[in-house]
Amino acid sequence: MDPAPPVAATPRYSLPPVRRPEEDILFCVDVDLEALTEMKPPAAASASGPSPGSASTGSPQQPAGAGGAARPALRRLDAVKQALLLFVHGKRKICPGHRFAFASLGETVSMVKKDFSSDPGSAMEAVHSLAASGSRYETADLTPLFKIAYQEGKRAESQGRLLRVILIYCRSSTKPHHQWPVKPKNFTLDIFYLHDKPTADNCPQKVYDALVDALEHVSQYEGYILETSQGLARVIFREMCILLSHPMQRCIQDDLDIPKQVAKKTLATEAAQNEDGTPVSSQQ
Amino acid sequence: MSPSADAAAPASTSGPPLAPLIAAQLSYLLSHSKLPIKVEQIWSGCRNGRYSDRFTLSIPFCLDYVHWDFLYNALAPKVAPDVVFGPDDEGFQPLVDYAEAGSGDKSCLAGWDYRDPRGLLALMHELRELYVEYHKKQVAKVDDARVTFELSTVLSKEGIEVCMVPSADRPEEVKFAVPLLDVDFDFAKLVPGCPWKLPQKIHLQVIFPISRSSSYSSVPSAPRLKLISTPDLKSLFSVEDEKLPPWSNGMCLAEYLPALEESLNLRVVEASASIGARRRFIEALAPTFGRPIEADPIFCREATVLSISGIFTFLVHFAIPLQFPRQQPALTLQSSQHLNADGTPIMSLPINDYPWSPRWDQAEMVERIYDFLTDECQNFKKFCSDTITQQK
Repeated sequence: MDPAPPVAATPRYSLPPVRRPEEDILFCVDVDLEALTEMKPPAAASASGPSPGSASTGSPQQPAGAGGAARPALRRLDAVKQALLLFVHGKRKICPGHRFAFASLGETVSMVKKDFSSDPGSAMEAVHSLAASGSRYETADLTPLFKIAYQEGKRAESQGRLLRVILIYCRSSTKPHHQWPVKPKNFTLDIFYLHDKPTADNCPQKVYDALVDALEHVSQYEGYILETSQGLARVIFREMCILLSHPMQRCIQDDLDIPKQVAKKTLATEAAQNEDGTPVSSQQ
Repeated sequence: MSPSADAAAPASTSGPPLAPLIAAQLSYLLSHSKLPIKVEQIWSGCRNGRYSDRFTLSIPFCLDYVHWDFLYNALAPKVAPDVVFGPDDEGFQPLVDYAEAGSGDKSCLAGWDYRDPRGLLALMHELRELYVEYHKKQVAKVDDARVTFELSTVLSKEGIEVCMVPSADRPEEVKFAVPLLDVDFDFAKLVPGCPWKLPQKIHLQVIFPISRSSSYSSVPSAPRLKLISTPDLKSLFSVEDEKLPPWSNGMCLAEYLPALEESLNLRVVEASASIGARRRFIEALAPTFGRPIEADPIFCREATVLSISGIFTFLVHFAIPLQFPRQQPALTLQSSQHLNADGTPIMSLPINDYPWSPRWDQAEMVERIYDFLTDECQNFKKFCSDTITQQK
């Protein structure tokens, strides 16, 4: 644990007695062909990793630890689905009143489960029903998503609740677009961008920039845009946990300091040399 | 807290919707009453009525509820409702009381305006007040010198309610519901950002046995005593955890109450200070554990942080008790990488046997918890791996 105080003037965390509305969270999951990209198998990563006993990232039926020759590859959408359930259970543990709905994004948005509910069983059903179509979509039109979010945002506000949209996007070459006019902002937008590493044939940076623009255009409170090209399921789970944060209690993304290492000093130094790259930022 | 729209939804509606003017009165009552009134059921007076026009209300009285039926007539909307009281209240005849009082006072029924949405609330209040007075008179008639004496000492307390406790298999008793602390003591002022919609109160429930052959030579037995609070108050202060001062032989309420109220006052002030202590504790988590994912900003009972040990990411949920810092927070760890067979993330049991002292300052408390977790999260990680292995 680093005893030195932070150099930059990050505002100190405070918890003023301001009402924390319960959330209605709409997940919008990309079901383009790229959602079927294979993830990196966990065993390969743990060979030189600092922590002993690799954590199982697959479903309970998959064997934990190294080896696993006959195991089917985990795909992005599989990891995303697990991450969604992880999110739902985590959020319910924090506060049982938070509710969830689900949509998918092909060329445009279609609702999978449009009624917000805190029931974990129906969330599981909705998540399991998400399926990639196997086609590569030419476009990704976010306009209907914003329209739905805006309507639900009004409804949520009248009920003293807060609407949030979490968009999970998987395409490395297709920029999303929208024709959403300037309107009162009544929902928060978070984005989780899973993409391939940049090559001559794709443009994840351009896609990322378009996603940032969309977020800044519509988000009421500070929305987070997280990304990974690592192909590691545990990174997806970790990033989804960051998105658990309540929009009204957030710091700006630049000041994000979680997750923080809980380790004795020497181990902390080792773990700090983590194998995950630094995130793609809009400045690069 | 459910918004008032929810409060208007009845427990069971087995019929058509309420006639609009009646619905307006019921809605007004539910959103304006300072008492927690519940609608038990709604039904129509006609077999195939287009509208419902009758309902049962549960109305708090003497730390219990009475259930009164309010019978309107959708076919004669200008007529005021009839009210049917409980089966044990044959003797309660409020309109007769007015006549007997002879003071010229009239019931609000005398000037009933069916278009006024406030009518039902006014009627319910009026009847309830008369009901309270009726029961005071009943208890005053009891042939027990001790009860009569005790009643006389508390009757002047604003908000006092008393009643007989009917019982088939036990000698009769008398119940006093004694409101504690000042009548205008506002608990909500102790909670910054307080979400409570109704005023909160603490009562002392006192149950005296009746001994009709009251002989002055025997010392009256101690009454049964219980502290009862309105439900919302539990998020600030738990009356169940309060030890009542002892009732010594030959004591009476006039002696007992001041001591109780003084002690209660102190405990309530402590409870209020505890919110501040809990808030500061949560704020103190940030430098060490990172900014909490989410925390309860009003009662400060919960906070969650996201931690990582090596490449093992996990959540730590803090459940902070009302008696913080005397009692320590319970920690529950939740894995981001391991699932139970039913698809739920693996969680630890709540942990509250780690080293703790209420005398540490916030920063030290946080540091000690951090130190504890550096080892404990390894145990938890192993627990998760073992659980996964056992599932195969």
